[in-house]
Amino acid sequence: MAVKARKGVLSRALALAMATAMTVSLLAGCSSKSAEGEASSKNGAAESGKRVTLKVEVFDRGNSPAPHTITNNYLTQFVQKEFGDPNNIDVQFVPIQRSEEVTKLNVLMASASDVPDIVFVYDSSVFYRYAQQGGLTEVGPLLDEHGPNLKKFLGEETLQYGKLDGKMYAIPGKRAITGRYASYIRQDWLDALNLPAPQTTEELYNTLKAFKEKDPGKVGGKVIPMGMALAPAQYEPLIYSFIKPVKGDLTYPQRYEMPFHEGFKDAMKFMNKLYNEGLISKDFSLDEDKSQLVKDIQNGNVGFFSDDVDRIFYDDGILDNLLKNVSGSKLAAIDAYTNAEGKHAKSRYASNGLYIMIPKSSKRAVEAIKYLDWMASGDNLVHMYSGVEGENYELVDGIPVMKPDAPQEAVDRIYNGGDMAIISNGKNFGDVKTNEKAWIFGFPERNQEMLRQSIDIANQDTIGPIAFGKPIEAEAKYGTALLDKLNVIIVKSTMCKPEEFEQVYEQEMKDFMAKGGAELQKELEEALKELK
Amino acid sequence: MKGSAYIKRYWQLYALLLLPIVYFLIFRYGPMYGVQIAFKDFNLFQGIAGSEWIGFDAFRQVFAMPDFYVTLRNTFMLNFLDLIVSFPAPILLAIMLFEMRSVWFKKISQTILYIPHFISWVIIGGIVYQLFGNQSGMINNLLMNMGLDPIPFLTEKNPWLLTYLFTGVWQSAGWGTILYLAALTGVNKELFEAAEVDGAGRLKRIWHITLPSIKPTIVTLLILNLGKMISIGFDRPYIIGNVAVREYSDVLSTFVYRVGLESGQYTLATVVGLFQAVVGLVFILGSNYISKKLTGDGIM
Repeated sequence: MAVKARKGVLSRALALAMATAMTVSLLAGCSSKSAEGEASSKNGAAESGKRVTLKVEVFDRGNSPAPHTITNNYLTQFVQKEFGDPNNIDVQFVPIQRSEEVTKLNVLMASASDVPDIVFVYDSSVFYRYAQQGGLTEVGPLLDEHGPNLKKFLGEETLQYGKLDGKMYAIPGKRAITGRYASYIRQDWLDALNLPAPQTTEELYNTLKAFKEKDPGKVGGKVIPMGMALAPAQYEPLIYSFIKPVKGDLTYPQRYEMPFHEGFKDAMKFMNKLYNEGLISKDFSLDEDKSQLVKDIQNGNVGFFSDDVDRIFYDDGILDNLLKNVSGSKLAAIDAYTNAEGKHAKSRYASNGLYIMIPKSSKRAVEAIKYLDWMASGDNLVHMYSGVEGENYELVDGIPVMKPDAPQEAVDRIYNGGDMAIISNGKNFGDVKTNEKAWIFGFPERNQEMLRQSIDIANQDTIGPIAFGKPIEAEAKYGTALLDKLNVIIVKSTMCKPEEFEQVYEQEMKDFMAKGGAELQKELEEALKELK
Repeated sequence: MKGSAYIKRYWQLYALLLLPIVYFLIFRYGPMYGVQIAFKDFNLFQGIAGSEWIGFDAFRQVFAMPDFYVTLRNTFMLNFLDLIVSFPAPILLAIMLFEMRSVWFKKISQTILYIPHFISWVIIGGIVYQLFGNQSGMINNLLMNMGLDPIPFLTEKNPWLLTYLFTGVWQSAGWGTILYLAALTGVNKELFEAAEVDGAGRLKRIWHITLPSIKPTIVTLLILNLGKMISIGFDRPYIIGNVAVREYSDVLSTFVYRVGLESGQYTLATVVGLFQAVVGLVFILGSNYISKKLTGDGIM
């Protein structure tokens, strides 16, 4: 793996990381035998009275407010005091940068000694790869013995996601809310033009045209009728309103599997039309992190856009900034895209969240399960997500409602609640309606009503991912290459001239199929048959 | 001189040498143990020794991947264009700097020229986007204000090549002058004075004295650069490149990153790395041989 890294910090760091990975796995190779020997005697050492260390991965988003750090903050102290000390365990948190989660985890997994006892990923193919290569502890029996609260909290349906060949190798986190995307339009622009809110894709197109021609926001040449970025929250809602799901309201789970659907080409053709008529962000192909899009929205140049259901509503977030920057601006949540059947089809999340795994080399599997079980018991999750009753929130009908006047010091202590409470993706209170209510209560009061509307939109006519219950080999093999290629298809077929569309689209699709797409499609179709 | 006396006299030099040797042993030779991954079905959890041998299977797999050839072609293309554009730039710059009379102006220009070298590619990438973007880029905003069509510097493959090359020259040309300037300071001043007395103009002096005296440096750097034809830095194509120009900006290093680190297919990534190393070796030996034949100068 001799990448010649000559210039720049990044490449040098990369080379170093690779070199380290190699040396470390070299050592791992030598010591694998002894590690296995010890691993098989996974008795909780804590029970014998010796104090042990449990290492837990935590996402680092670089947003720790002083005086907290990612490894020492209110919640880590809470965990230590409430779980660690009574059980004679030192809980140590191992930060992993959010943006390089998988690459860093790969390196850690290769080193049997440095890897945390609890690790996690969102990507199912990574989980399956680790499981197939024999790198994970089988958690089924441990869960039966030490995780009654955890099992109850997660429920059978969610637990299914952690299985491979009938054995449990991961503990899937539970997702509180499966709604994903909503769209927004500048109500003040509609009012200025005396237009109704668009209800269908066709109407949306006409509205965008009107935005472009009449510039109701008086922003000069900078008007962007539809804000677009090379990011799923922007293109998926559009594409999903064109494609036909393969199995009722379920379809292939991965984003790069969209091109296998009937209607994908029409979606691209629509994008092409929008682009060539100057209706979407010109530089969307450069904007993978959405930073330009956010700027454009907040400066009041964007008429319509789609985003993650909650994204614009945070305190000092996109919506707040737009209203502050542009006087008289007004945003409304709408459900504009319609498919051939007139439905507002859009994707939703699976009911699981993170895949939480215990590496085979870990000697603290029992403690790891105990920790997760502790998290699921009592009101620990509420505490991790919402803080202290009376200081951070008040209970209303059993749901914590965040206090708007909570002091900053109190707000700061739960800044990483979502990342610490790994078994729960969002606030889980049992049924979806209550979850949504609890979630909305976490936002500034002024934005709560519109968030409610957004969630209702996001839940409308959703298409869910199929859970095959087994690894799709081609996903692990070609996934990242195809994801990159999907972006190329979208960008190329959107940005070419309309008369070149057919040729460009066919060419890029051919390439997509040659790069593993064909193999993946075949495997998916076979898996689908087996499912029926 | 006797052995012991020799060591006694020069031990400091050997001590100085120790650090680079240790560096090379740990970071350049140590990792070579991992080269065998290319011939193994590498399992993260079994380690290198525990993984099974698969012979040349992984090589067959890599050579069957269409992406491999595209990235290989791009690597050669970008490096070759870089050689044409970026290689002469520091030579011209060094000669210009050398010819300068005013010492303070020379010092200031040198410093300004060096600065880009110390700016990380991530930051350069940000600057490039701000300057060359279609919608928000400064240059295109100027063009549009003058009623001209914007130039897709970043999203159309041929204009992108220019952007890529230009940023490369901007970043490295100044720093590249150092070696040439060092070579030039060693040139005997009397040569220039004699030539001036004989009535040689400035261009003649550059042609007959300056250039020949840095010829060995040029040849050495050229050989080294040719040896690097198949390897390419990661950050420049990764950061300056984007989805719209993927057919040009995807190179071997980004390919290795994607296949190896992102998808965890270490075996395939190692195969590509080994392939690069072997071809690189052939290139460097070949160019050295040719250079020795043609000019009598080489590096080995």
